[in-house]
Amino acid sequence: MAEFVQLLVSGLATGAIYALAAMGFTLLWQTSQTINFAQGEFVMLPAFIMLSAIKLFGLPLYAAFGVSLLVSALLLGFGFKRLLVDPMIRHGVLPLVIATIALGIFLKEGVKLVYGAEALPFPEALPQGIWRFASVSVTVNDIGVLLLVFAMVLALQGFLSRTTTGRAMQAVAQNPDTARILGIDVPRMITYTFLVNAALVSVAALLITPVYLAKFDNGESIGLIAFIAAIVGGFNQIRGALVGGLLIGVIDNLSGAYISAAYREAFPLLLLIAVILFRPQGLLGRAEERRV
Amino acid sequence: MATDSILTLAGVVAGYGKLTVLNGVDLRVAEGSITTMIGPNGAGKSTVLKTVFGLLRPTAGEIRFRGQAIAGLSQRALLSLGLAYVPQGRNLFPELTVRHNLELGGITLGDRKRLERRIDAVMGRFPRLLERADAQASTLSGGEQKMLEIGRALLLEPTLLLIDEPSIGLAPKLVGEVFAILRELRESGVTILMVEQNAKAALAVSDDALVLEQGCLAFAAPAAETLEDPKVHALFLGGGLEDGAGGNSAQAE
Repeated sequence: MAEFVQLLVSGLATGAIYALAAMGFTLLWQTSQTINFAQGEFVMLPAFIMLSAIKLFGLPLYAAFGVSLLVSALLLGFGFKRLLVDPMIRHGVLPLVIATIALGIFLKEGVKLVYGAEALPFPEALPQGIWRFASVSVTVNDIGVLLLVFAMVLALQGFLSRTTTGRAMQAVAQNPDTARILGIDVPRMITYTFLVNAALVSVAALLITPVYLAKFDNGESIGLIAFIAAIVGGFNQIRGALVGGLLIGVIDNLSGAYISAAYREAFPLLLLIAVILFRPQGLLGRAEERRV
Repeated sequence: MATDSILTLAGVVAGYGKLTVLNGVDLRVAEGSITTMIGPNGAGKSTVLKTVFGLLRPTAGEIRFRGQAIAGLSQRALLSLGLAYVPQGRNLFPELTVRHNLELGGITLGDRKRLERRIDAVMGRFPRLLERADAQASTLSGGEQKMLEIGRALLLEPTLLLIDEPSIGLAPKLVGEVFAILRELRESGVTILMVEQNAKAALAVSDDALVLEQGCLAFAAPAAETLEDPKVHALFLGGGLEDGAGGNSAQAE
């Protein structure tokens, strides 16, 4: 029982980090029909930006995180939208998807070229240590991750539902044609979601890289899991992406411990297949209307 | 007549990509009127509204609102001039509340206090919206949704309301209510340019009628006269008179 709770908590913590990437993924889809297959690399890159800021300027980790937040906003937010999404979306969703796949490969290989193929150590973002409650022990890091992610989710939901700008962003996601008719600055709202995504992937990088170490191909698994989490939760719901991320983190951890460590990566995919078969709109999703 | 036109189109050509829908439309909308555009499907009625509201760019011709050329202006600029547009179909933000839908109708106001007052004013006009203020728009009935769409378009206190098929999908009783609302708006000084398939009911509340055919204005006349016109009757109002046999294909859709 104690082991189960430990696995549950650490699964939730990892899942919460996946959820950050999955929520960003969902946001981009909602507002701009961008399916970002470079999302995993978007989590990988900020880790290297932070490492560079630490090495080049001797910054402490949190200052380096600030730098990476700015650089990510510029490159993965603004630059991504202007240089890749805006020119490609005119040709349709699929060409844009292919372009994001290309971008992912470019980022991965670019990082490999500059930083090499070795996994680099990454400083811990949160205090370490173990808390014991009766026979159950959980790491301070896992609890910290969970608290931090939930604070971010609350802040994001609060921004989207309690501010006029946030509601205008929702409006663009729900009905862009009408948003335009009301004089809502649709391109600006879309840019905001790209900036929010840049912030989400930066935080995800800060939290996950101490576990995975900084490696050029980290994005492969993170991107895949974020994608699965988004679909499992319901592609059009931020809440869904959160639930999807948490669920996959837990399933991954429990199946690895109790069923088969060798096949643990298959279980999230089984979940994906089950959801697609039995609840194609996702756990929290609503069926999407196809407008012509 | 020329002096009190709020909207004039002269030789407007517009369409979607290579497909030209409007082949030189000339029309006038008298200030303070309800003007209804009728015509067969594909005649370009909705396209006229979209072009006036800047969603399609005319490739030729002139659009003037109170004498000012408005082709090519942004929606924000058009809204600030006093135009508003209620397109056909569902135009709400389904997961936002009634109040927040209204709020977004006034997002270009910029002034929070004024916005709140306008929202209160619209809710005063439509008490049903006040009752449902905190309900998600998707939970409203069809009639309430149309009311909310119209209310939202009124948030900036427009002087010209462009409205496309307000009666579509509504029960007959609600159609009457929607037309009554439009009538009230007219009394309070809002000019309305409407497209309506339900031509008989629409013309009954209208001052003027514009008949479009194949992207051109076929003719313009007072609504009452148009209702009496046997040719219009046969072509667009469906049935009643005997002489329309075989000539009704345009209306069949």
